[in-house]
Amino acid sequence: MRKVFDDYRVLSDETLRPDEPRVEKFLQAMKKSLQQRDNWTFWLPYTLSLDTCMKCGTCAEVCPVYLASGKKDIYHPVYRSDMLRKVYKRYFTLPGRLFPGLVGAEDLTEEKLNAMAENVYRCTICRRCAYVCPVAIDNGVIVREARKIFDAIDIAPDELKKNGTQKQIKFGNATGTPANAFLDMIEFLEEEIEDTKGYKVKIPVDKEGAEYLLIHNAGDYLAFAETVMGAAEVMDAAGVDWTLNSPAKGVNDAVNYGVFYSDAEFTTIVKAHVETAKKLGIKTLVVGECGHAFEALKYLMLRLIPPEERPFEVKSILELEDEWIREGRIKVDPEKNPEPVTYHDSCKLGRLGGMYEEPRRILKACCKDFRELTPNREMSICCGGGSGFAIMEKGDFRKFRMETYGKLKAEQLKASGASIIALACSNCKGQFREIINYYQLPVRFAGVSELVANALVR
Amino acid sequence: MDFWQSFIGGFLPYIAVATLVFGLGYKVTCWLKAPVNLHWELFPYPHTLGGQLSELLAEVFTLRSLFHHNLKLWFPSLVMHWGIYAVVFWLFFLLVGAPVAIYLGVAGGILTLTGSCLLFLFRLFVPGLRQISTPVEYLNLLFIFLLALAALASGALGDFAFRNYFISLLTFKPHLPLPGSYLVFLLLLWLFMIYLPFTRMAHFAVKYFTYHKVKWGEVE
Repeated sequence: MRKVFDDYRVLSDETLRPDEPRVEKFLQAMKKSLQQRDNWTFWLPYTLSLDTCMKCGTCAEVCPVYLASGKKDIYHPVYRSDMLRKVYKRYFTLPGRLFPGLVGAEDLTEEKLNAMAENVYRCTICRRCAYVCPVAIDNGVIVREARKIFDAIDIAPDELKKNGTQKQIKFGNATGTPANAFLDMIEFLEEEIEDTKGYKVKIPVDKEGAEYLLIHNAGDYLAFAETVMGAAEVMDAAGVDWTLNSPAKGVNDAVNYGVFYSDAEFTTIVKAHVETAKKLGIKTLVVGECGHAFEALKYLMLRLIPPEERPFEVKSILELEDEWIREGRIKVDPEKNPEPVTYHDSCKLGRLGGMYEEPRRILKACCKDFRELTPNREMSICCGGGSGFAIMEKGDFRKFRMETYGKLKAEQLKASGASIIALACSNCKGQFREIINYYQLPVRFAGVSELVANALVR
Repeated sequence: MDFWQSFIGGFLPYIAVATLVFGLGYKVTCWLKAPVNLHWELFPYPHTLGGQLSELLAEVFTLRSLFHHNLKLWFPSLVMHWGIYAVVFWLFFLLVGAPVAIYLGVAGGILTLTGSCLLFLFRLFVPGLRQISTPVEYLNLLFIFLLALAALASGALGDFAFRNYFISLLTFKPHLPLPGSYLVFLLLLWLFMIYLPFTRMAHFAVKYFTYHKVKWGEVE
């Protein structure tokens, strides 16, 4: 693959089609993105952010990629936003048409389009920059809108679209696991719990009318089974009426990669989630340890699906675990997790989801030595797994993830002195698995539910 | 009467105020009518009116975000913004007839001049800032600098009798002629007011939407 922006390539040649003329199509799609009627979902933050950046550079002072890269110009968050902003000014504003040089408006060329398509996948949309911007300008929303425009002209990473949202709709999960294989996996997990913990846990599947429907990121069953088992043990210990669902009963994967690049795909998936919950007649949809799925179902869904069409509550598994520990519904003993444990705030659960105290209360109750990463909470540094980056490998992209976001997290982790990093998001887990290997850290990662299950007093 | 006296002293002020009011009004109305976006809050954020007001005032008067995250720009930016606030208060106190106006005016002029000059130099010499700056960023700062310079050089900000002119504008019978140096200041002031709504310098109005409708948007 030839170089179009930096030393990495997220988009394959087949997807990017770097030698084809696409500028006209891009401009048409962008024109549509600027229409209120055609793009109401984020029109206000998008246009305000395009129009009102004061160019103070405060965003750059907190951007993990820019800082970790040694402040490379091309990774400046405003440089990235300006790639789209220059086009916006040139083609869609009067001053940009009349005085392009004065206002920084530029013609779009195929080369610039290629570079922009790649650069919008160097930012995880962690929105740390938006949090500190004095005017609350949001580079994240600009990046996401740019990704939407690219998707409209059929340029989106295979990991997110072809093997992501489209596969999820076809198979019920983005891993392509059929119902029988899923049921076999559940049986295996039940046996695994019995072998390792010495007690039996029945994992209900497709139970209609249950109080709680727990939907995990389907990748967790394959890559982070400890989280799935931990959650099952907690549910079982709480003695609640709960169920998982198989692909035979709709979508059994909490992920919604549409959050990262497409409102249309996002809406399709979220509607499938709602239909699944309605079909099973459950009362509460519990989102497993998946940051963006929580954002999608807890917040983004609210103005998209009218309340009467979603007759169930949405909660994170963290909210339930915190609630049950505080109520005494489940008993935990912190001595059972004696190692020093720290917690990484997933951007989607924290800055975008407001879930700061729940995981901390859980971990303080379940671990003997809980310590913070610095900085944390709203100023937490993105790990670099967000926006689906954790599953993007080709084009040497893993190296980009490790040398930018990963570098900062490794330093933070080392400074904490913890031997376990607790995580509540699958993308974070995928990224930390790589960070720990890449930087040879004497640390292991664990799902929050896994640590709760370890601490259970039965 | 001299054409320029009438044009700058008696005609442009109404055009400037009308453009400022209708220009900003049009934009604000457009933003108010915008479809409600999907939830896109950033946590934590203040949930009560009191909490939001106190955070807003702290941001407006102390530029807290810059202080915490971009310290090098905080001081020059604070100086310029305090200068602009002081000039706004100058106009208010001048109209209500409070003599404190002239102190506010002169102090505001000096602060605005200093702040805009410092910000211009920062933008020119700090590589990270120069990289993201377009000519219009320099032009805006230069405009503010020249406006403050003209205001101070004319002595208008320290002239309590200047009040009569503004009062006469309110009664649509402008007291003219004015000294030539006042006309230069006024010309720049009116042009600035006409220019303002169409630039990002109107960010004071944008902030309501970016904070209240997006960053702090209420969760149902």
